[in-house]
Amino acid sequence: MYRVSNLSQAGLGLKTGVLLWLLWLLLLPLETVADTKQPKGMPSTMVLNPAAELWRDVRQRDMPISGTTQVKGVDSGVLINANGDKWRKFRMQQLIPIGGFLLLGILVGLAVFYMVRGKVKIVGGESDRKLPRYTSYERLIHWFMASIFLFLAITGLIILFGRPLLIPIFGKEIFSIIASASKEGHNLMGPLFMVALILVFVKFVRRNIYQKGDMSWLLRGGGIIGKKHVPSNFFNMGEKSMFWMLVLVGSVIVVSGLVLIFPVFGQSREWMELAHVGHAIGAILMIGVILGHIYIGSIGMEGAIDGMTTGYCDLNWAKEHHDLWATQMEKRGEAIANEEVNRFSDPDTNEYLGRELREADK
Amino acid sequence: MIAQFIDGPLWIFSLSVFLIGVTWRIVTILMAGNRKDLATPRGSASAGAIRTVFTRSVYERSAATRGRLLLVAGYLFHIGLFVLLFFAQPHIDFIAERITGLSWTAIPHWAFILSAELAFLGLLLLWIHRLLSPVTRMLSDLDDHLGSLLVFLVMLTGCLALAQSFESLRLIHLLLAELLLIYFPFSKLMHTFTFILSRGYTGATMGRKGVNA
Repeated sequence: MYRVSNLSQAGLGLKTGVLLWLLWLLLLPLETVADTKQPKGMPSTMVLNPAAELWRDVRQRDMPISGTTQVKGVDSGVLINANGDKWRKFRMQQLIPIGGFLLLGILVGLAVFYMVRGKVKIVGGESDRKLPRYTSYERLIHWFMASIFLFLAITGLIILFGRPLLIPIFGKEIFSIIASASKEGHNLMGPLFMVALILVFVKFVRRNIYQKGDMSWLLRGGGIIGKKHVPSNFFNMGEKSMFWMLVLVGSVIVVSGLVLIFPVFGQSREWMELAHVGHAIGAILMIGVILGHIYIGSIGMEGAIDGMTTGYCDLNWAKEHHDLWATQMEKRGEAIANEEVNRFSDPDTNEYLGRELREADK
Repeated sequence: MIAQFIDGPLWIFSLSVFLIGVTWRIVTILMAGNRKDLATPRGSASAGAIRTVFTRSVYERSAATRGRLLLVAGYLFHIGLFVLLFFAQPHIDFIAERITGLSWTAIPHWAFILSAELAFLGLLLLWIHRLLSPVTRMLSDLDDHLGSLLVFLVMLTGCLALAQSFESLRLIHLLLAELLLIYFPFSKLMHTFTFILSRGYTGATMGRKGVNA
């Protein structure tokens, strides 16, 4: 009895041992995953998806991605969008780091350039006369576009770079609020950028068509590098190129933005991913160029911003940076004394009142 | 704690300031009275008043060309803001729950977005023009910019909270709306109500003199 009992206990023990051994074998992969994924000392809670192999096979199979389904809708026949992972990896591993370093590089470059070159002064000093440069309507649509662009740039940068940059500062909770607000604001204001782009294009396109003398401006570095004077028209080659970049890249940004915020026109996920990539690359490029534009308008060049704030530019500034246009304007008698500008510091008003006064003075 | 304060006592206080302030301002204007005009009337003062209330809203051809843009921007902003305020679903729900108990049909989401876009377009154009034009810049004071800023911020925070996922965004929007309500009766934003009185007064004066102005 004792022997039988011992034997049966031994058999039970053997069975239990085998079962435990099999269980240990099954748990081995988990042990490996836990060992590689979890930090040392942390409790391991990861459980392998038993269907992982199946989904991996589905994703990596060599046949058309789309299958057959009764469900109607865009991409409804696609079980797993393999391109989505490629897009995610591109966004996380290339777009965000490269884009970030590019923008940072531009900022550092501008700072270094400012330290080396300093503010570009009006060599002849400020004149006692001014030229009417922009009408109030032109300034209005410029600043309208600028304000919309700044808002979109800030919210867009938060959406793109927020996770790596803002989460360490604010934490996940606050960042999720900022990100949600940024996304809503970005989507809402986006179409207004399209309106601004159309208004700016219609108003400024004629003066931005390339003409004789533009190439020599480019070949001589625009005059900002070096001290030599470079002749230029109303807009120089750099400004014209920025305008066309704004129009072309801006159109890409607008169209891709519309594809992203109105996903109701049957566009597939691939189109959405492509639109996102185009939108982000275009926006980073444009932000970089606009940083340069803001630099010249603010601390980079004396007198450059006056035309867009007051409507008038200094005559000497115009002669130094847009001499072909300045000479033409001076010949037509458009140069106005500073006192007169101060009295009617609006080109629209001057067009009527200022000219009458000038003729009366003659 | 702060959330309860914004949602409760501050809301009651701001609404009270708004209602009492606006009523007080309008009553004082109406009570101010007119000097008696002893001249023989050459036309109807009432007809002149009614006519001017409406004709001032139409583009005046004799004004400068650029006036057209400002007129369009003005309409875009005011209509957009009005639609947002009274026909957006979250506002209707808020008004029904907190003020009147009555609700009405809301505009669809796309119309809400469109109204917001138009309102922002109009407000930005008008505000930038106010800053750029030497005439309007000189005519404007802190009150004008503060009023514009508050309206802009209320609209902006409302749109940022569109997802309705975060209570804090709604509270920021509500807080700014409450500040606007408190500021409203003491500012030029009172033109929301007084434009009819001022136009009517001018129209009546001119109408009595037989002048079509």
